[in-house]
Amino acid sequence: MFEATQLNRKNKTRQRMFSIGLGSMTGLLILPVALIMGMLIYKGAPVISFEFLFTSPTNGMTAGGIFPALLGTVLLVIVALLASVPLGVAAAIYLSEYAPDNWFTRAINLAIINLAGVPSIVHALFGVGAFVIFFKFGTSILAASLTLAIMTLPVVIVATRESLQAVPMAFREACWNMGATRWQTIRSVVLPNAITGILTGVILEVSRTAGETAPIMFTGAAFFLPLLPQGVFDQTMALSLHLFVVSTQVPGMPEQLPFGVALVLISMVLIMNSLSIALRMYLRGKKKW
Amino acid sequence: MPKRTRLSILLLLASAALVTACGGGEQRQVIQNKGSDTLVNVAQAWAEAYQTVNPVVVVAVSGGGSGTGIAALINGTVDIANASRAIKDKETKLAKDNGQDPVKHVVGFDALAVYLHGDNPLDEISIEQLAEIYADGGTYLNWGDLGVEVPGCQDQEIVVVSRQNNSGTYAYFREAVLGDKDFKLGTRDMHGSKDVVDLVEKTPCAIGYSGLAYATDHIKMACVAQETGGSCTNPSVATAVDGSYPIARPLFMYTNGEPTGVVGDYMNWIKSNEGQCIILEKGYAPAIEANCG
Repeated sequence: MFEATQLNRKNKTRQRMFSIGLGSMTGLLILPVALIMGMLIYKGAPVISFEFLFTSPTNGMTAGGIFPALLGTVLLVIVALLASVPLGVAAAIYLSEYAPDNWFTRAINLAIINLAGVPSIVHALFGVGAFVIFFKFGTSILAASLTLAIMTLPVVIVATRESLQAVPMAFREACWNMGATRWQTIRSVVLPNAITGILTGVILEVSRTAGETAPIMFTGAAFFLPLLPQGVFDQTMALSLHLFVVSTQVPGMPEQLPFGVALVLISMVLIMNSLSIALRMYLRGKKKW
Repeated sequence: MPKRTRLSILLLLASAALVTACGGGEQRQVIQNKGSDTLVNVAQAWAEAYQTVNPVVVVAVSGGGSGTGIAALINGTVDIANASRAIKDKETKLAKDNGQDPVKHVVGFDALAVYLHGDNPLDEISIEQLAEIYADGGTYLNWGDLGVEVPGCQDQEIVVVSRQNNSGTYAYFREAVLGDKDFKLGTRDMHGSKDVVDLVEKTPCAIGYSGLAYATDHIKMACVAQETGGSCTNPSVATAVDGSYPIARPLFMYTNGEPTGVVGDYMNWIKSNEGQCIILEKGYAPAIEANCG
C-alpha cells in the first residue's frame, strides 16, 4: 500500500549507516581494554604462582615474589578508606540534607570540584609537607594513606551526594509528615535508599587508590623493604611503585616479571570492583522502588 | 537490622586484616635510606643481605636521585642519604641551619660508561669530543663529525641522551666532562640510569652516559681517552679502582653526624669486606681492597 519513496530509502540507508558507524565506535572502546588484558595475561600469567604472590622478593628483586607489595597496597587502600569514607559520607550528607543554598555552600562545592582536579603529584607534595613533615608521621603507611584519602575524597563526596539527591523528595516529605526529625529521616529512609550509589563511590575510590603511584612514592612507599610493615607508622612496599621499579630501575630484570606485577595489580582492582558490584546488585535487588 | 550487621562485619574484617598485618612482637629498628638512582640497586642488595646479619634491623630503601636523598637528609626524614655526587656547600649550610650535620662516607666507586648502539662503529672517544657533543656551544651534531657512519641511523644526526638535572650522574658528568659548562639544549633527559641504557640500546643514532653496572650484552661501551688521539681506557671495575679510567667517581652515603647505634653498625658492615663484595657483585668498584674469593 505504501511504496517506499526515494526519501524513505535515503533515510533508511542513512539510519543504518549511523547505527553501524556509532556502534563500531563503541566497539572500539573495548579494544584497548581487551588488548591490555590480553597482553598482560599472555605475558604475565606464566610468572604467577603461589610463591610469586606469597613470598618476598629475593636476589635484587629479580626473583621471588611480591607479597610485601601486595600486602602494602591492601593496607594502603584499607587505611585510606577508613579515613575518607566516614569523612566523605558525612560531608555529603551535610551538603545534600542540611546545608542551605548560600554562598558558603557554593564555595564548598567549588572547593570539592577543584580538589578533584588537583594532579596527584601535587597531592603527593602536599602529603610530604603536611603529613610527613608537619604532623611528623614520617614516611609511613599513615601519611601515604591520608594523602590518598584526601585525593579520593571528592569522588566519595560527589558520588554520595548524587545518590542522596537521587532519593525522591517525596520520601523525605512523607517521613517528615509523620513527625520524624531530619536525622531520623536520613538514617532510616535516605541512607538505606542511597547505599548503592555510595558503594559506587567507594568502588571508584578503591580502584584509584590501589593504582596511584605518585602520592605514595614520597609519603610512604619504599623501593625495597626487607620485612613486612608492623603498623601504620611503618613504611611499606606497594604494587604500583613496585611495578615502576621493576620495569625501569633494576638492571637484569626478567622480562616477564613486570607483566606479572601489572597483572596482579589489575586483577586485584578488578576483583575488588566485582565484589563491590555484586554487593551493589544484591542491595539494589532489595530496593522497593 | 541486617544492614547494620553487614556493615559491622565489613568493618570487623577490615580491622582484622589490619591487625594481622601489623602483628608480630619483636622490637624492630628501621633505618631510612634514600637517594641516588645509581646506588639504589646496591642499597637494595645491602638491605636484603643485612637481614641475615641482623634480622631486627629493617633498612627501608627509596630512590629518587641524589638530590632527593640529600634534601631528605636536610629535612631530617632519612638516616642515610645515598649520593653519587658530593654534597654542595649550599646544601651543607641548609642542613646546618636545620640542625643536621651531614657526614660523608665513601662506599664505592662507579665508572661512568659512554654507551653506544651495538651497530655503532665508533670505538674510542675523548673527553674533548664528548664535550663537543654534550656541552652548550659544542660543534658536533652528526656522527660524521667523529669520522664514522652509523648504519641504521637515518640522517646521521647524534641523538644525545642525558639525565634529569637532580641526578648525581648528571652533576658528575657535567663537572668531569663539560668542565661545569651547561648542557646543550635538546638532549633527551632520562629519569633513571637504566632508562638511558634502554634508549641507547634501541636507538642507532644515540649516545648516552650511565653507570657501568647498567651495561647489557646488546650495548657498546666506548673506550675513553683523556685527549683526542691519546691512549684510551675501557671502563671496568679494575680501571675505576686504579684511577686510570677518566670518568670514574666516588659513591657516597651521608649520615647525620658520625653514625652510632644501628646506623653505625650498618655503615661499618657496608664498609666491611662483606658489604664491599656486594657492591662489586653489582658492577661497581669497592672502596677498599675487597677479598671476595
